[in-house]
Amino acid sequence: MQINGEFIAFFVLSIFAIGGAVLLMNLVRVVHMALALAFTLLSIAGIYLLLNAEFLAVVQVLIYTGGVSILMLFGIMLTRHRDQEGDSVRPWHNLLSFLGVGSFLGIVIHTIYNAPLTEITAEVGTFSTAWLGEAVFKQYVIPFEAVSVLLLIALVGAVILARKESKP
Amino acid sequence: MSMGILMGPVGLLFIVLGFVTFAILFERKVIGWMQARIGPNRVGPWGMLQTVADILKLLIKEDTIPSKADHPLFKWAPVIAFVPSFAVLAVIPFTDQWVFADLGVGLLYYIAVSSITTIGMLAGGWASNNKYALLGALRSVAQMISYEIPLIMSVVGVILSAQTLNLTKIVEAQEDLWFIVPQFLGFIVFFIASLAELNRTPFDLPEAESELVAGYHVEYSGFRFAFFMLAEYVYVFAMASLTTVLFLGGWKPVFGLDLVPPILWFSLKFLLVVFSLFWIRATLPRIRMDQLMQLGWKLLLPLALLNIFLSAVLKEVFPGVY
Repeated sequence: MQINGEFIAFFVLSIFAIGGAVLLMNLVRVVHMALALAFTLLSIAGIYLLLNAEFLAVVQVLIYTGGVSILMLFGIMLTRHRDQEGDSVRPWHNLLSFLGVGSFLGIVIHTIYNAPLTEITAEVGTFSTAWLGEAVFKQYVIPFEAVSVLLLIALVGAVILARKESKP
Repeated sequence: MSMGILMGPVGLLFIVLGFVTFAILFERKVIGWMQARIGPNRVGPWGMLQTVADILKLLIKEDTIPSKADHPLFKWAPVIAFVPSFAVLAVIPFTDQWVFADLGVGLLYYIAVSSITTIGMLAGGWASNNKYALLGALRSVAQMISYEIPLIMSVVGVILSAQTLNLTKIVEAQEDLWFIVPQFLGFIVFFIASLAELNRTPFDLPEAESELVAGYHVEYSGFRFAFFMLAEYVYVFAMASLTTVLFLGGWKPVFGLDLVPPILWFSLKFLLVVFSLFWIRATLPRIRMDQLMQLGWKLLLPLALLNIFLSAVLKEVFPGVY
């Protein structure tokens, strides 16, 4: 393995992403957790950039770091936020969680090692956003429209559910 | 080469700091003249050193942190707010030679990175543990999110015409005709939305000093406060540059006057945009919160969508012109 700029950048960004996730689990205040999550999401955008996925990286920043994090912060600030996490009441809870997470990790690692990743992949070095646009809006236009209709339905459904509660 | 990579951004930082210093003076002078006052005229010749004195005062002020504040967040918030404001300048093409990162998705990069500042404002208002600061922060975020959508939608027309997201290529597509002419509706929506994104009058509700004291940065003093103000004025620089690049033809000369260097053309157009920001601040009153939301969602967003539709139709009907 040769050590070049890309490797160092990947290393630093991975540490940032994992560090943000660890902070998310360990911080006490909910607002700090949300900010740690935003940091993790931003670091992941950096990793996308390293993989030549400029568009995906920028959209990750726009949607996740800029949008979802702020939505969460808003939600935290407008609801009960003074709660701090106490110690777990059930002692076997930690053990069960560890078993669950451990088996999930095992399944994921098993899937990754069995996935046919060594097949020939498309050339990514000269990838451009224009190609992405053509692929989405010409080749995959019907799945794209189906997903957008699904999202629209979810949006309208959320509005209807939220309105019902507020009415006397 | 490596020196150039390092020195370029540092040079840009000093240019931006110089711009901010004189933009504040210019703003106070312009608003003074429009209100039949003289404006600052005591420190230095023609008041030139007024902002320098103000900054010096800010830097030697005591750095106060409220005892009930969320200390780490309070310290980090100005940094989170400032860093994106400078990072967006990386993709702005000042001339065809002078651009730091010629990203393929430059326009989206600008919009995405600038949205991170909102987190800094929200964190600052939250960490202050002050109701005015929190109200200001919530208002600010609501406003930024509402106006980001018309802002993005209004540039889609430009993207359709230029067929690229790269800012350099967008300028090159304006060789014959600036986008302000075919995309006039888009320009109007973009300009109003950018005023709101910059938190400037008539959209300065987040820091309405007469009702909210000063909004999200009420508890800040000294250099932390200076950082928030700096972030705002760097955004003025960035947004005026972006307006120039998207709609006013960037460094392209007017009437084919090639003798004037491109950077001067860019500066002239850029200063025109900055002046109109100050002009609007001096002439328009602040709008109310409910009016703000109505304007954003019920007027600007439909207009921006109409602009996308019109651009797409006109591009198909008159492929040469648009």
